[in-house]
Amino acid sequence: MSLQALAEVIKERLGTLAKEVRIAKGHVEIVTEGGRLTEAARALKEMGFDHVKSVTAVDYPKEGKIRVTYHVSSYLKEDLSKYIVGLSVDVPRDNPIVETLVPLWNSAEFFEREVFEFFGVHFKGHPDLRPLLLIPELAEKRVLRKDFVVREEGIYEGVPHEYK
Amino acid sequence: MGAGVGCPREGKVYAGNLNVAAKRAREILYGKLKLGEVVDWATTFSLWPVHLMTSCCGAEFAATWSPRFDAEQYGALPWISPRQTNFIIIEGTVTRKMACALRVTYEQMVHPKFVIAMGACALDGGLFYNSYNVVKPWEVVPVDIYIAGCPPPPEALAKAILDLRKKIREKKMASRWLTEGWREDREYLVPKEDVCRWWRP
Ligand code: SF4
Repeated sequence: MSLQALAEVIKERLGTLAKEVRIAKGHVEIVTEGGRLTEAARALKEMGFDHVKSVTAVDYPKEGKIRVTYHVSSYLKEDLSKYIVGLSVDVPRDNPIVETLVPLWNSAEFFEREVFEFFGVHFKGHPDLRPLLLIPELAEKRVLRKDFVVREEGIYEGVPHEYK
Repeated sequence: MGAGVGCPREGKVYAGNLNVAAKRAREILYGKLKLGEVVDWATTFSLWPVHLMTSCCGAEFAATWSPRFDAEQYGALPWISPRQTNFIIIEGTVTRKMACALRVTYEQMVHPKFVIAMGACALDGGLFYNSYNVVKPWEVVPVDIYIAGCPPPPEALAKAILDLRKKIREKKMASRWLTEGWREDREYLVPKEDVCRWWRP
């Protein structure tokens, strides 16, 4: 199965669950709406996508949203195992709550904990939502959001104007 | 060399014949050195680094004890349990959670104990100088020797072990720790910050 064919199959399978299905660089990207993430994930699982490779998030401060992306793939179905599918959902930045996908895909558990500590996204129904890599004080600062500022050295002060 | 021939190296220090080696060592040392100096001399030959790999410098640490560079020739053998070691090499970046592990490991080691901080990260953060999650090892444990480089080559680590041995004998680090129970360059043995605070139940 080619990537195009996979995108077609997914579009057909998800129907109205997906707001958008498109081919990004080497993988299929699906965007769903807030309340339909679990249904879309279940449909993907029934297709044969049996594990989560990573969960990540992107912060869009201007649009006031955070996009949480689950990258899923398959171990057991050979024709699907070549591809990665990204299942995204947009949540508001000031109150980010996502329905957890741990009951469907066990491997999402630790990834969701990471997204929780770095972006402050709450996963409703997660069995053990604690910070994983950071100490709790740091996790409260949501360190990977764009408005968290790190100290910088003034090494670019001498850069000429035309390059600024 | 040949078996059966009277050994021409009789009386020299070599590891093959322990009785001869002990006799020879006694001849060298007995009555010539003070007890403290013997302690320092002996400590330089029994440095046991605990293997606490905090970051990528650990790869160079492993290479240092591989057959090519063979740091065991300096009397240092990596060991797993902190309770049977007296020497810790901080292998690179120390994150906030690892700082607690580092401190706990350091506390468990037997006196007299020594610390080498390895890599740019252990000096001043290195690549991660502005990271929110990195602590400087000198805020957590007292450091004897620093090695620069990212990562430092195995030769540099071997040189650092030799420097540490020199420092132990010149500054009488081992014997003074035993007789006086402290060293003046160790004024802040306890870190100012509670590195394990996140861990309390
Ligand atoms: S100094 Fe370089 S090699 Fe060593 S831990 Fe830091 S980044 Fe890694």
